[in-house]
Amino acid sequence: MSVILPLLFLFTALSGTAVVLVRDPTRQVFAIAINGLVLTILFDALQAPDVALSELAVGSAAVPLLFLVALMAVRTQAPGEDS
Amino acid sequence: MSAVTSVLPYAVAAWLFGVGLYGIATSRNFIHLVGCLGVCQAATYVLLLGLGYRWGSIAPIFYDHPPGTPAVDPVMQALVLTDIVVGATLTALLLVLTVQAYKRGGSLDPEKLRPMRAGGKSGRDQGSSRVSEGGQQAP
Amino acid sequence: MSPRIRIALLALSGLILLPCAASVIAGLPAFGATIAQYGERINAITPEARHVANMVSAINFDLRGLDTLGEEFMLLAAITGTVVLLRGRRGEGNTERAMRRPGRAVIPRSEATVLACRIAGPLTCLFGLYVVLHATVTPGGGFQGGVILASGTLLIYLGEGYSGWRDAIHSHWLDALEGGGALLFALCGLAPMLVGAAFMQNILPLGTFRDLFSGGLMLVENVGVALAVTGGFTQLFLEFMEETREAEEPDEPGEESA
Repeated sequence: MSVILPLLFLFTALSGTAVVLVRDPTRQVFAIAINGLVLTILFDALQAPDVALSELAVGSAAVPLLFLVALMAVRTQAPGEDS
Repeated sequence: MSAVTSVLPYAVAAWLFGVGLYGIATSRNFIHLVGCLGVCQAATYVLLLGLGYRWGSIAPIFYDHPPGTPAVDPVMQALVLTDIVVGATLTALLLVLTVQAYKRGGSLDPEKLRPMRAGGKSGRDQGSSRVSEGGQQAP
Repeated sequence: MSPRIRIALLALSGLILLPCAASVIAGLPAFGATIAQYGERINAITPEARHVANMVSAINFDLRGLDTLGEEFMLLAAITGTVVLLRGRRGEGNTERAMRRPGRAVIPRSEATVLACRIAGPLTCLFGLYVVLHATVTPGGGFQGGVILASGTLLIYLGEGYSGWRDAIHSHWLDALEGGGALLFALCGLAPMLVGAAFMQNILPLGTFRDLFSGGLMLVENVGVALAVTGGFTQLFLEFMEETREAEEPDEPGEESA
């Protein structure tokens, strides 16, 4: 356990950095979902199953979906076209 | 546990927060910016749960283990738990504002954001007439 | 402010804050060495005092219930703001026509997807209900279960298409769920005052330890949170999806929902 936890922390730092460095929002959605998964595993290893369950549902499903739909709304509509 | 391990979670939390701030400051796209804000949020989760952890403890759920077994700090977990769910709805709110800003101003770039004025005289050459029409139609 | 100045400012503040952060980290207790006394006390006392096994739920719904009430209304306010922003421009009606980028092919849904969604949808909802109801016994509770339930409804969208989803899920029910859940939570706080107890005092019978019915008032509050989160998140998905629909009347035939 004393090896797994530091490794998971490093993974979290990496995946968080990836979310920032992926500049294209379409690709960033996947980075966000992966970040959510890594956080889920980290929280589970930190003995927080409640939080892991919450992060799994929110961080790797709900939030990426909201990002995808926002991207869809932005890309399919011409700018300035109000209703 | 080595000295590196004992400060690693806090360092990771600080790193995530710093990277998120860097992303927010340099972002050229509002949707990317909201994602970077999510990284800052994740930093708080890591910090709180790192503070509440203790080696060799069980999760604070006394179902399989009798009460009295050393467990990690449940207060931090309760904090993070509600924060995650409420944070997601706030992300949704920010994304909606992003989409609205795109429809009004015609750009997702924070650099090109202009102040919104009544009647649509926002100074944007391209979309100003359309915006003013839309403003009059809106109830 | 030009980007260069902004980055310079960020670097400057980073340089100043870095030593401060380092000294704070040095002052924190070593990772994994000890936990705060408050949490320790809660772990020691609560299983006896409240007959619940899940300490996190006990804190959320009982010991710090007032804070959760605040969180609950933050949730309500955020979702209300989102819905108002989206509906204010578009109105409350729903539109049939999917928006599509020109030149992109429409791929019909395969039967395997429909079958998988029809099997996985009810199972996901069942699991969500399980997570909600076992809040005081095993990991879970209204917050997590609510999000799982809301995600389960998305499988209807994936399997049956947009119109099927809109037929199954009604926006007004979600409004009622969202507001009703928050109201239920607030009433859980106010009801004990009718019998002379304190705000949100746990006056219901506490039940047996490790049983589904344990924790008294916590169970009711948990259901309130679950209703609000389910309603709120489904409402978010619904209103966001509606944003990708076309507002105009269809002028060409052949739209199969995306």
